[in-house]
Amino acid sequence: MRIGSLSLLLAASVLGPTVAQSAHDAQVVSLRVTHQSFDEHRPWTKGTPSTRIGSAVVLDRSQLMTKAKLIRDAILIQVQKNGSAARVPARVVHVDADIDLALLEVEEPGFFDDLEAVRFAKSAPGEGIVYSARWQNQQYEISKSQIAGINVRESPHGSITHALLSLNTDLSGGGWAEPVFSDGRLVGLSVLQEGQLATVIPVEILSAYVRGARSADDPGFASFRPYWQFGQDPALAAYLGLKGKPRGVVLRWIPWGSTGCDALEPWDLILSVEGLALDAMGNYEHPRYGQLAFQHILVDGHRPGDLVRFQVLRDGEILDLDIELRRNPGADWLIPDRRDQPPPPYLVAGGLVLRELDGNYLRAWGNPWRKKAPANLVQRYDRERESQTAERRRILLLSKLLPDPYNLGYHPLANLALAEINGRSVDSIADADEAFRHAVGGFHRLKFYRDDLHGEVVLDAAGFEESTARILENYDIPARIRLRPPGRERVTVECDPQAPEYR
Amino acid sequence: MSGDCYRCGVSRNLRPGRPRLGAALLCGLAGLTCTANIPSLRGEAQIERSVVRIVNHSQKADWYSPWTSAPTQTNVGSGFVIDGGLIMTNAHVVSDARMLLLYLYGDPTPHEARVASIAHDCDLALLEPVEAGLLEGIPALKFGALPRLGSLVETYGYPTAGRQLSATRGVVSRIEVNRYSHSGLDTYLTVQTDAAINPGNSGGPVIRNGRVVGVAFQSVSKLENVGFFIPTEIIQHFLGDLADGRYDGFPEIGLLWSKLENPAARRAAGLEATASGVRVDLVFPGSSADGHLREKDVLIEVNGHDIANDGSVAVADLRLAFTAIVDQLQSGETVSLGVVREGRRLDLEFPIESLAAFDCYRAPYGELPRYYVYAGLVFTPLCSGVVAALGDTVQTQISYEYSSRAFAEPERLNSTVVLLRRLDHPVNIHMTWSGQAVLERVNDRPIRSLTDLVEAVESNREEFHVFEFAYFGRFEVMRREDADRAHSEILEQFGVVEDRRF
Repeated sequence: MRIGSLSLLLAASVLGPTVAQSAHDAQVVSLRVTHQSFDEHRPWTKGTPSTRIGSAVVLDRSQLMTKAKLIRDAILIQVQKNGSAARVPARVVHVDADIDLALLEVEEPGFFDDLEAVRFAKSAPGEGIVYSARWQNQQYEISKSQIAGINVRESPHGSITHALLSLNTDLSGGGWAEPVFSDGRLVGLSVLQEGQLATVIPVEILSAYVRGARSADDPGFASFRPYWQFGQDPALAAYLGLKGKPRGVVLRWIPWGSTGCDALEPWDLILSVEGLALDAMGNYEHPRYGQLAFQHILVDGHRPGDLVRFQVLRDGEILDLDIELRRNPGADWLIPDRRDQPPPPYLVAGGLVLRELDGNYLRAWGNPWRKKAPANLVQRYDRERESQTAERRRILLLSKLLPDPYNLGYHPLANLALAEINGRSVDSIADADEAFRHAVGGFHRLKFYRDDLHGEVVLDAAGFEESTARILENYDIPARIRLRPPGRERVTVECDPQAPEYR
Repeated sequence: MSGDCYRCGVSRNLRPGRPRLGAALLCGLAGLTCTANIPSLRGEAQIERSVVRIVNHSQKADWYSPWTSAPTQTNVGSGFVIDGGLIMTNAHVVSDARMLLLYLYGDPTPHEARVASIAHDCDLALLEPVEAGLLEGIPALKFGALPRLGSLVETYGYPTAGRQLSATRGVVSRIEVNRYSHSGLDTYLTVQTDAAINPGNSGGPVIRNGRVVGVAFQSVSKLENVGFFIPTEIIQHFLGDLADGRYDGFPEIGLLWSKLENPAARRAAGLEATASGVRVDLVFPGSSADGHLREKDVLIEVNGHDIANDGSVAVADLRLAFTAIVDQLQSGETVSLGVVREGRRLDLEFPIESLAAFDCYRAPYGELPRYYVYAGLVFTPLCSGVVAALGDTVQTQISYEYSSRAFAEPERLNSTVVLLRRLDHPVNIHMTWSGQAVLERVNDRPIRSLTDLVEAVESNREEFHVFEFAYFGRFEVMRREDADRAHSEILEQFGVVEDRRF
């Protein structure tokens, strides 16, 4: 008998005679992740290592599936199974931060021999009782959970908007990839828990993720991030030329790179997607889950590259538009919530510390970051986070200044958005580094966005390299620069930017 | 000092004889020196007879429901008798007064008073008793010069925790230009002292050698034993401004500038190695400097005072921000500036005036909010009263428009109209936006004032009104005839007597 059985028996006695979940314990493993993130304020160094504990489910082909956030910044991932104290290292084989899922492999021979792959349900139930499971302290826990609802919203740690289950669960401290079972099959994976309310990715998304991750082209999930408003106002509907009762939703703006940015237009009234009629709140009738918000249609059974039919009312005329679904990773936003590569790019130049503005930096100010981070950065995040264009892919910050005689007079400067260096627009640390090679009239000139209300910074080009070397030594900085790590190509699209007016 | 929380020394909502525990703690009772006999600094004057207790029963505007007023409150402060049968005090002591009462030294009888003049930018006011001859026989205090650093001063006033006159003594610990918290925008010369300045002290005289050297007015909540008083330089400016019977306010040059402490910045700005100054980064349209100064000009001299690279000038044995020199001028007087433009020295002279576009960014007192209510949509200019009323609920787009965008795009100064809130009615209940939205266009007309808005609404003959808001293309639509029909009904239901105030 396994050590975990005592817990299981206790749980089973609570759950009643119809529950026979012990078969699952060989389908679930626990993960211990040692992680170490970078110090976002001093991006050349790392912070204190720490540990996360979570779960993964066993897949066929000797793989494990867990949530991406659990393994973020991982140094070492260790797996425990069947209540054993033995820990076996695992490695990451695939991550999709936008949907918050990841695949792991364990190379130790025979590791999977006494494990069994979960069986995926075809779909998650829309109501009723399900069971959340995990190994914790080498004991297997099963908790009864009640489905409280299913709602379409942005993934709590990703960027894709899709349906998520809400569970009232007895499990404490969950949200770290605990699998959810019903009738012996996997129906979801918990990715967030606040109090006793768990948020669970439904199995339809899990299945689609695994299929995509194992396919040759790895298409990921389509990004459709319209800014829209309800079409419920009869006056608004009539103004747009709709006959009859209000229905559909009104588009206001689509970020560059998002699905539809080249086909849909502001003030289009979206009436249906894939033949599914939208009500005035943007909901359609899902065959199993009832009313769901329309963004889920683009994820449910569809992948980037698919053509999806939108019916819109534009200038009083109904149009059928076949729109190609696009992938636009959250890491490609102008101000990404999360980087897709852990090390923050930076440049130390004459004591100026330059870095990209991203969610990692904002969160580094501590909770609640919206109150603790500099107000100009929070305002910029709210206004511009998805305002990327082909020419404008990042906002560079002068995040701080390392005092030195060379930069006298500028020591208090911090957290200003750079517009240009030496007359060149800068869109990356590489751009900034290049711009510093082109001093103008013997000076380095840095201009900031006007709304940061700070005048030009002028430095002597002559002492620049010498001072940089001195500052690196004085402040014990190992490297002058870190560029964006080579990785996937950024998304490029033919898409007229619909810059939001008045922005 | 910009991050510190300045606190005006006025006590609020205190009932005579019932000091609240919180207020008592705020005063720091242990440090409060209640004495009427500190002879050394008073000279021959009987200061205490000239110091009055002021009770202000006030009522502010309600900026969230701009057609109505907030509940009344009672504030207590101090003042002192000056020449002309007047009482000097702080503007914040008597702001928004509905009834002002004076209590003379040793006299328990309240006497009604009214505001003769008030200046919110420099937080000073003059009162006159309603009762003729009330101040006869009471010595008018005289003004002295700016005290030196380290010199002893006494404060007189009626702080909370008692109804008797209080006097405290301290030294002048700093003299510099600081923010005046009453307006929240203006910075003028202040004097810092460790003499206790507590709620209720506001408006009381600060005395040295029997003469008034300042008016107690604010403290810093983070610091102990730090109080501030308004020096006589500012008081005299206030009184001088009133000489023509009208208060014009402190004039502004009207620019944003940067220090030039870095040698490379100075060279790039065209300064010689031994020269110093500050760089002009922005000239506000319509300001005194508009048409005279340009971006990238370097200011090197103001009224004969050399400007250092940090923006300071030498005044006697002090270094003060160069704006303190400008603050000595009255509106309409001429400022003389030494300027380096593209490497060449220029001497410029031009008259300077106060900049009305900044008024919107001062805390509002004694004024009623401007607004326009149409079919339940409440519109108002985006001014400090609105931002204060929204408090912690203010959205970042509103705070950005108010604090950043207006100064980066100065043509937007004082010209942003917002949908503040919605008075729910079937005609508007289906709208997505119920408040805190920056209005850009109505019926295809750009909106830069309430007048623009009213004209755009009232001149429209189309079937629909279309309201377009800033940020991500927000918009709303109303059927004009339905909105017109609902308008009066909504005003009546919500008790809005007038649908507009400009």
